[in-house]
Amino acid sequence: MFAIIRTNLLRRSTRTIFTASGIAVGVATIVALLAFTQGLKETAAGFVNLGGSELGVFQANVSEPTASVLPESIVARLDASPDVAHATPLLLLVEGVKSDASAIVFGADPAGFFTHNLVLTGGQRPATGAREVLVGDRLAAQLHLLPGAVLVIAGHPYRVAGIYHSGILFEDSGAVLALAQAQQLTSRPAEATDVVVQLAPGVRASVAARHIERSFPGTQVITDPQQALRVGANSTLISKAILVIVVIALIVGAISVTNTMAMSVIERQGELGLLSTVGWGPVRVASLILGEGIAVSVLGAAAGLLFGVIGGSLLVHALGVSAYVSPSVTAWGLGRGLLVGVAIGVLGGIYPAWRVTRMRPLKALSAT
Amino acid sequence: MSAPAGAEVTVERASKGFGRVSALRDVSLSVSPGEAVAITGRSGSGKSTLLALIGGLEQPDAGRILIDGRELWRAPHPARARREVVGFVFQRHLLLATLSARANVEVPLIGAGVHRAERRRRALALLEEVGIADRADHLPSELSGGESQRVAVARALANEPRLLLADEPTGALDSTNSERVLDLLFRLREELGMTLLVVSYDSSVGTRADRTVTLIDGQLAAADEALSQRG
Repeated sequence: MFAIIRTNLLRRSTRTIFTASGIAVGVATIVALLAFTQGLKETAAGFVNLGGSELGVFQANVSEPTASVLPESIVARLDASPDVAHATPLLLLVEGVKSDASAIVFGADPAGFFTHNLVLTGGQRPATGAREVLVGDRLAAQLHLLPGAVLVIAGHPYRVAGIYHSGILFEDSGAVLALAQAQQLTSRPAEATDVVVQLAPGVRASVAARHIERSFPGTQVITDPQQALRVGANSTLISKAILVIVVIALIVGAISVTNTMAMSVIERQGELGLLSTVGWGPVRVASLILGEGIAVSVLGAAAGLLFGVIGGSLLVHALGVSAYVSPSVTAWGLGRGLLVGVAIGVLGGIYPAWRVTRMRPLKALSAT
Repeated sequence: MSAPAGAEVTVERASKGFGRVSALRDVSLSVSPGEAVAITGRSGSGKSTLLALIGGLEQPDAGRILIDGRELWRAPHPARARREVVGFVFQRHLLLATLSARANVEVPLIGAGVHRAERRRRALALLEEVGIADRADHLPSELSGGESQRVAVARALANEPRLLLADEPTGALDSTNSERVLDLLFRLREELGMTLLVVSYDSSVGTRADRTVTLIDGQLAAADEALSQRG
């Protein structure tokens, strides 16, 4: 049976290639978007636990977490909340380091727990008011920076006071500047991107999040990466876009496979009639057609997986977010792409396969 | 190959029409197990329709077609019932173009769920039987008309049928190849003991068969009708 499926697909190789290509485009789009979303999720995961915090307070309904703007004054009120042990503001500068666009510069209160929790591996903390910066050990290694070197941030030179390690990728791949200097650099006085919070002992993050959102209208609290992903309208849009594309890919792909297989059934009436004549039951003949549909789809899906992995990288560049989002291809993401491919084959093959079961052998034979 | 016993064929007042065309009218015929019967008649006389009804490819509008006492098309699984009893050879060989001769012979065995190694063994034995084992790996396009028809005969024998139905098996062959294919069919019938029904214009088929029946405008010729009713 597999040999017959293989030879049937090969003898109409051009048609097979075109049909598989259509499916490949759909599957590639799905895989690329899933890889992008997974990358966003991982990015978001990094934002959740910045500085060893348990939750982050962001502005609600922003396009991306990094686009959030909060008044610095909110920090004192948060700090006073019984659920909160410590709160400290962060101002994020994306693409502030020209020599490494993926590095994020954190404007942080020198007295806050975010700065305090950084473990210095070299040098010392910046002197108050000095144009100095702390550099993560990953970034330092990448740019060959040592204490005393100069790092240019947003066109302004800063002396590297010390090198730190926090164990959080985003922090170790970035740099930490005093909040006031970051605000000055971005012309955003008294503003922060978000406020990271350590909770009082025994307080559950979900409970605290509800209290904070109620007390501070216009904010959104994130406590886990999945939630962080939902904060960004772009992320939500992408998630919905994936669903729409999956549905479109299923419909278009299934129609394409139906068309191809229906044509094949009409052209091969004699052959299928012969199979029936020599004792192939309707289910077996239908399985042949269905098998061919699935084989085309799996071929397309396999190509789609490959293109999707490549497309994921292209997508982050096209969207201009390659600095802080790396597409992440997971086995589940690939599995879903493959699943869509198989589903296209099954859905597309059902009608032609059904037609075959209705075929009268003598009439089919006379069509040759 | 084991020798399958021949099947008994009984056609009882069978009629068949296609739209407004009456292809077969009230035909009755009895064929004994192992008998070789030639069916002749002009084009459009209903020969192929009769064969299709006997083979269970079509169901009669009226009357009954019994193979060893059962109606194939009424079986719970008509394709299986057909596979277990009947082998078909057509005017054109109808080999699958992309499969080798051996793979073509294997096709009915796939339908029967025979395992791959056994399929291969049986297909090669059958090709040996019809005298073209050396062409087993050739595609139909690489075979002559006579060779292709011999592959078709091997395919018809794959499931060891007790009834072999041949519809103009030499219609597309030259005289030399026609003789070879007829020699083969009648030799196999002798060796295997199967019942053989051959539709043909070829008068030499009649001389080889045990009996000849003639169809005229969808009905058996009077002499054949009387013979059939006698027994």
